[in-house]
Amino acid sequence: MLAIDPYTKGFGFAVLEGPERLIDYGVKKVKGDKNFACLKKFTGLIERYQPEVIVLENPTGKGSRRGQRVQQLLKELLELAASKRIKVRSFSRLQIRKAFYSSCAFNKYQVASSIAKQFPELALRLPPVRKFWVNEDERMSIFDAIALALTLFQS
Amino acid sequence: MSLKLQNYIRTYRKRFGLSQEELSFLLGVKSGSKISRYEKFKQVPTLKTALALQAVFGVPIAELFAGIYEQAEKETSKRARILMRRMQEAATDQKASRKADLLRAIAITPNINKENS
Repeated sequence: MLAIDPYTKGFGFAVLEGPERLIDYGVKKVKGDKNFACLKKFTGLIERYQPEVIVLENPTGKGSRRGQRVQQLLKELLELAASKRIKVRSFSRLQIRKAFYSSCAFNKYQVASSIAKQFPELALRLPPVRKFWVNEDERMSIFDAIALALTLFQS
Repeated sequence: MSLKLQNYIRTYRKRFGLSQEELSFLLGVKSGSKISRYEKFKQVPTLKTALALQAVFGVPIAELFAGIYEQAEKETSKRARILMRRMQEAATDQKASRKADLLRAIAITPNINKENS
């Protein structure tokens, strides 16, 4: 399964074969026409990993604060996946948070920490606790993508 | 269609925090760009390199190259069944009997059983 989490400069992604098998993860940064460039990289990931399911955030779901560009991108990712006949599942931010309540993770950082405990190789990628005057670290998009994937496995 | 990837070199490389250059050095391979080609499934490593990967990660080749192994196992199993059918027509002796046992073991694989069920 391939999970995608767009952010301001591109998107984070994660590929999993089951809730305990992390195959690949990373951040894809783009310039220029961001949505077009994201779709191109997204297509590359699909060709490489041939996912059976793609998981995205539901931008209109409860708890979402996505801007217009990302909402449009998520819509285009959905259309691209559909054109390749790949199943798509989407979850709202609220659904993702609820999926981690049982791990006593109630905010983004706690969710990311919980994921880093489950997949120790991510421990070095865990960003520091965010100060409110600082932009979100781009590495958080990796954890957000994995959180999406794990939400699907729990649903 | 196999659900397994051709290889999981990238998975294990990232799990152990190795760069492509570092892995290429460990394997005795020219450069990190070769590792990149393996990871993008554009090139299959030599047997020696595959064995070196097993030595580096401590993971059996069949698991490192799960997709390729799955395909090879399926095709070999199919050919084993063909050979078994041919042998049934020939006379049996001790050598043939040992051969039949081997072919039976190859022909019965978990994946084939799943498909036939």
